[in-house]
Amino acid sequence: MFNTTLCRRVLLVAGAFALTAAVGSSAFGQAGFSPIDKSNPATSKQDTGLKPHATPPTVTPADKLPLDKIKLPAGFKAEVWSSGHPAARTMVEGPKGTIFMGTRQLGRVYAITNKDGKREAKVLLQGLTQPNGLAIKDGALYVLAINRVFRYDNIEDKLDNPGAGVELTDKFNLPDTVHHNWKYADFGPDGKLYVQVGANCNICEINPGIHGQIRRYNADGTGMEIVARGIRNTVGFDWHPVTKELWFTDNGRDWAGNAGPEDELNRVAKGQEGAFYGFPYCHANGIPDPDVKKPNACAGVTLPAALTGPHSAGLGIKFYTGGMFPKSYQNVAFIARRGSWNREQKFGYDVAVARISGGKAKIEPFLTGLLDEKANTFHGRPTYVHQMKDGSLLVSDEQNGAVYRITYQAKSAGR
Amino acid sequence: MRFAMRWRRSLVLGLAAAVFCAGSAFAQNVSLAERIQLCASCHGEDGSSRIEKIPSLAGQPEFRVLVQLILMREGVRKVETMEAIVKDMKDDEMDALAKHFAKLPPKPSGEPIDASLVRRGAVLAKQRNCVSCHLPTLAGQQQIPRLAKQRVDYLIQALKEFRDSKRSGSDTLMNGAVAGLSDADLTALAHYAASR
Repeated sequence: MFNTTLCRRVLLVAGAFALTAAVGSSAFGQAGFSPIDKSNPATSKQDTGLKPHATPPTVTPADKLPLDKIKLPAGFKAEVWSSGHPAARTMVEGPKGTIFMGTRQLGRVYAITNKDGKREAKVLLQGLTQPNGLAIKDGALYVLAINRVFRYDNIEDKLDNPGAGVELTDKFNLPDTVHHNWKYADFGPDGKLYVQVGANCNICEINPGIHGQIRRYNADGTGMEIVARGIRNTVGFDWHPVTKELWFTDNGRDWAGNAGPEDELNRVAKGQEGAFYGFPYCHANGIPDPDVKKPNACAGVTLPAALTGPHSAGLGIKFYTGGMFPKSYQNVAFIARRGSWNREQKFGYDVAVARISGGKAKIEPFLTGLLDEKANTFHGRPTYVHQMKDGSLLVSDEQNGAVYRITYQAKSAGR
Repeated sequence: MRFAMRWRRSLVLGLAAAVFCAGSAFAQNVSLAERIQLCASCHGEDGSSRIEKIPSLAGQPEFRVLVQLILMREGVRKVETMEAIVKDMKDDEMDALAKHFAKLPPKPSGEPIDASLVRRGAVLAKQRNCVSCHLPTLAGQQQIPRLAKQRVDYLIQALKEFRDSKRSGSDTLMNGAVAGLSDADLTALAHYAASR
């Protein structure tokens, strides 16, 4: 032991010399590598102690879930649908009713099934790098981690032993830069698999050939096309049930002040595939970036359909087409806003509703109560929403590793 | 057989001490004291590592150590020597270890610190706003690690892994924060952080 330590020390000294010799080598020149993060936090005039909130990797006990904090419009009710699966984020449903759930930090994919009226969550896959991207097609589960893509055929018949899956990583050829590159994925009305590739910095000149895009692929990873460009970090999109146009949330940059630039809800209008949404030069409803400057920064930029609040972190979005909620909710988009970190007074931590009218949308509150504005603290973080076959709405809470189910019952006359 | 293979591979890595002690981790009902002893064989009796590229744990925020141990058990953060050690550990056992190391006072590693690199690192640290998460003292908080008095060689290795997308923290902010920095920049940052 003593000799080992001594040996290490000698190696250390040698190592230090080697390091000194290595000084001067450079990391530039890698394909797709964005050169430098240009954020200048000093000019944001924000509290420099702001930092991302910790996501617990451990189970929140059932009696500590913030169900009693949740507020909904009249007639709506929330219940705990499942819990005990830390880091809960994306949800997709298999044809036989299994809810598959993706995570970021914990590297797990869960399978949640119904057993005797209760939910049973098991770890289906683990050890993946932020497997947030899940999609279902023809009974197969597509799993998109940052650097790898898999397909598990007939997944619901082998929940106890999913096997290795079919690896499609090489076909999709996604960049392995991790920042803002946890995936969101879904099959569009055209049968193609839509996937985003975020900007790998807070604010910088990105390589537009690789980063800041929504792409679509054939299910086997061939035939890549760029659907939208100049997007900082979208991790949620859906298609309008009537127009079939793609709508996506996008998270605005940090360290440019408490007021924003606000996050966005965007639309890819018919015939506008490939449109440019402004990153890194132009944000929100036409705010030129203070750090990455360009003349006429907002020229040619498709501005958002709605602003969704400063640093609010709108993630999951789903258009409602179910039969349970009142008619006024038909075709509205539910948006889970995970809540701010880069803002002194916290904002978000809710589920909002976007009422669409043509190319514009109006944002209204829906599920609230998880943010205590007075104390400037939060009790939960809604990340994704999923419509069940019965028309109820599932909302995942990453902070508490839980899923809430929202139901509606009209008050019958005379009561 | 698997155990023997692991032995040999780890010897090649030059981390024999850890694996020698890791044998006890296979036993059931390992006491907290035994677990701490196992950690100490690499990370130091006092939580301050004297071994190249092995991080010091003394004074690390409790939640940070808990998160990292869980991520290693889940196979998200891949550190070969740690695999057998964390494999069967429960959350509460990891929590107890995290609490233990959080209480120990951090000490400098004794590696040479270059004053000119410290000055250059300080400028870079200001540009990259390191103190926003790691605090002005660089003592860390919650899931954010302590950098002050950490080993220089470990910091350089970790920073390179973040820059080259070989590792993320509990978030990917570090990958963005060090994007575009050269090896020389990262070395300067490491000297600065360790000197605090």
